Amino acid sequence: MKEFILKRLLALIPILFIVSLVVFLIIHMTPGDPAHVILGETATEEQIENLRQQLGLNKPIYEQYFSWIGGVITGDLGYSYFMKMSVSSALLEHLGPTVSLSLLAELIAIFIGIPLGILAAKHKGSVLDQSFMGFSLMGISIPSFLLGLLLILFFGVQLKLLPVAGYVPLNENIGSHLKYLILPAFSLGIMQAALIARMTRSSMLDVLNTNYVKTALSKGVKQRNIVLKHALRNAFLPILTVIGQTFGVLITGAAVIETVFNIPGIGQLIINSIERRDFSTIQGAILFMTLAYVMINLIIDLLYGVIDPRVRLSHK
Amino acid sequence: METVRQSNIEMADVKNDLKKKQRQIIIRRIFSSKLTVTGFAMIIFLAVLAYLGPLFVQYNPLEMDTVNRMKGPTAEHLLGTDNFGRDLLARIIYGSQVSLKVGGFVAVITAICGMIIGLYSSYYKGLDNILMRICDGLMSFPAILLAIAIMAALGPSINNVIISLSIVYTPQVARIVRSVAIVIREQTYIEAIKSQGASAFRIIWKHIAPNTLSPLIVQATFIFANAIIVEAALSFLGAGVPAPEPSWGNILYDGKLVIFNAWWVTVFPGICIILATLGLNLAGDGLRDILDPNFQKSK
Amino acid sequence: MDNTPVLQVKELRTHFKTERGKVTAVDGVSFSLNEGEILGIVGESGCGKSVTSQSILRLFDEKYLTAYEGEIIFRGKNLLKASNAEMEKLRGNNISMIFQDPLSSLNPVFTIGQQITEAILLHEKTTKKEAYQKAIEMLKLTGIPAPEKRINEYPHELSGGMRQRVMIAMALACKPRVLIADEPTTALDVTIQAQILELMLELKKETGMAIIFITHDLGVVAEICSRVAVMYLGQIVEEADINNLFESPNHPYTMGLIKSIPQLDGDRKKELNVIPGTVPSLNNVPKGCRFATRCEFADSKCQEEMPELITCGENRKVRCWHYETIKTGGENFVFTNN
Repeated sequence: MKEFILKRLLALIPILFIVSLVVFLIIHMTPGDPAHVILGETATEEQIENLRQQLGLNKPIYEQYFSWIGGVITGDLGYSYFMKMSVSSALLEHLGPTVSLSLLAELIAIFIGIPLGILAAKHKGSVLDQSFMGFSLMGISIPSFLLGLLLILFFGVQLKLLPVAGYVPLNENIGSHLKYLILPAFSLGIMQAALIARMTRSSMLDVLNTNYVKTALSKGVKQRNIVLKHALRNAFLPILTVIGQTFGVLITGAAVIETVFNIPGIGQLIINSIERRDFSTIQGAILFMTLAYVMINLIIDLLYGVIDPRVRLSHK
Repeated sequence: METVRQSNIEMADVKNDLKKKQRQIIIRRIFSSKLTVTGFAMIIFLAVLAYLGPLFVQYNPLEMDTVNRMKGPTAEHLLGTDNFGRDLLARIIYGSQVSLKVGGFVAVITAICGMIIGLYSSYYKGLDNILMRICDGLMSFPAILLAIAIMAALGPSINNVIISLSIVYTPQVARIVRSVAIVIREQTYIEAIKSQGASAFRIIWKHIAPNTLSPLIVQATFIFANAIIVEAALSFLGAGVPAPEPSWGNILYDGKLVIFNAWWVTVFPGICIILATLGLNLAGDGLRDILDPNFQKSK
Repeated sequence: MDNTPVLQVKELRTHFKTERGKVTAVDGVSFSLNEGEILGIVGESGCGKSVTSQSILRLFDEKYLTAYEGEIIFRGKNLLKASNAEMEKLRGNNISMIFQDPLSSLNPVFTIGQQITEAILLHEKTTKKEAYQKAIEMLKLTGIPAPEKRINEYPHELSGGMRQRVMIAMALACKPRVLIADEPTTALDVTIQAQILELMLELKKETGMAIIFITHDLGVVAEICSRVAVMYLGQIVEEADINNLFESPNHPYTMGLIKSIPQLDGDRKKELNVIPGTVPSLNNVPKGCRFATRCEFADSKCQEEMPELITCGENRKVRCWHYETIKTGGENFVFTNN
């Protein structure tokens, strides 16, 4: 088991290298002189040149990359002149809302998606199943930010039931915290719920047709346990894949949703930094998000080994 | 010699016959699924709307009319006006041109580039290591983030959106083509052709490539849909098609500003996005059921 | 051997709802299983023998897929009318089943210990520890070496023969009166096959249970069964004691099956005997006798009217219009083309 984990972690290194390289190169392709942008229109040539020296912008590009990477490894992601704080602090400040939003959205996706999928598989061919297919098709055809806007229209403007913008941190008031996050989490989660439900249904159907389910039935196992114990555990692997894929999409879709609902998370940080041309923050934030995405996929991979002994044992 | 030539001609005839029959079967199967037909119908409707629509609309999508701003749907303005007084119907129609253009170009470019990269990676081991590492790296990025980052570097414009989304989606196409190509490369008939002295170019393009077409087409359809969505998201964020040129995304941006007073600016482009995506998803699903022999309908 | 029936199947019909309409895979099957006997059910793939066995335990989905007709009497009760709860209590407990491919028939994510103890805990009031002990004993009983080690292994870690022994252990854990064995040796090597058959005979002797043994292999039938029913296209066409069946088969299909067994001795230059034609599809069941399309003795009566399964001797039944004339070698056979 340990070797399994180690192997996976080692494979991560070249990926992380490429990711950081891509981020760095893209940001440096962006037109505009960072020093100029920071100091503004009124700066003199001399001031700009001084700042350039200070920021190391005159050094060759690979030197700049390595000094940035060196900083990253030690936890120093640079400094933001716009927010007057280190990029790492800015990230930490904005981390909370994004994590809350993503988690809530993923929970909605899982707790709606999996039960629906199981029900559809159990009652395959019935009216329930067909309307399920319709719902899931709609679910994957509405982009989350559009759903967000429509939900705002319906719940916020028409019904005036839920708040449409803003954010209350968790430690202040858990009720309000959830109230402000419900609509955005739903917008994010529904599409993922549809994807998860679809995969759950097809995976369950595959498993319910297997011989070992027939054996369990012939032993006298109760119907409920056949579905939940024998079938689900075997069906879970592909479902887990989809959950992993959707979680990744979720985190990034959060960026757009945060803009729609005015939530001060990392997504909004990235968008604002782009507008302000706050290069160090853009670099750091995108690197951070991508790292999170990669790590989540890694954890999902590792979970495979836990759930399916065949995966675990084949690496012995 | 005559008999050999004769049999070659007969062979070619038989081959053409078979190919024609295959095409007929595929077309028949496409029409047999109601959902798939609906999907294609929706796409065609959209294309008609986008390119013939301007003939029926008398307003210029950029023309502002501040007296009539934020008016709901009336006989004058069928879908209402936005916060600058521009006719919404006109803007949506021109916006659909943008969506189709972006989606179409991205689908085609990623298909071509992905195919080339996938095929050559599957054939040359050295190339494979480098290219697939890069693809893995690119695929590690969440699509929207990568698109945003590239747009930040290139600056907002339709063509840059196309370039950026092509970069985002090519790796996954390359991966799919590569995995199919690898399976085919392992078949014995490839070895047989090799031993007859066929060049790498010929093997790749004449023998392996045609078998990758089916999953490629299915993938391209879904990428078309995704590109439309991501373009809308980018424009909504201000990082896509720059104002005042209409794109469904930046219409939605305007819509959000006035969402409490002018619901139509949000709802109508929204419906268009949903229809376009739905149509493409249905078509893609249908194509996959038909073209991919390994995919079993577990319905 | 006892002649009291422990299980009675009466006019069983199993219908399936398919895209092409209703398909009747088992069409009027009746037989009895006596205490302590091994009844063989033989037939080609698709003849309905597996469907029959799975119908006894009602393993098919009854909401959207299957409908049953007829009666299956066990301990005075009609199983086809029993409630779900009653069936759940019965399965694995009074009537057990083992299947053809032990690798796909065992759940890959649970250890064999977990799967055997599940069967025990479902039907007997014991603690988990006791159940585990019992499971180990069952493994010993079925001849698995080092059972205390094996019990924590996963199905894919065992060999084919051992997996089948595990299935048998699991099926017998609660001492059922009836064991249904659906092609248990088909997927195994010939040598392993012999071991498993021997094991089953031993266990039958010890426990006194009755076995329904389903197979397409007449050789296996000859080794282990005391009585045989031959099925064709959803119906039983002949039923007899094992010796009678092989010495003097009454039904042309049975004759064809026996003749087509390759002989080890005899003229090597002779061609293999085959039954001409193929089995008709269940969607296109022929009118009249279902074997008529391939039968060398068939005439117009056979094509028009379906023969009933009639008793034609002691413990013998046959479904054929002309069995009397056929069994005497066919030389006296006269075609009655009306």
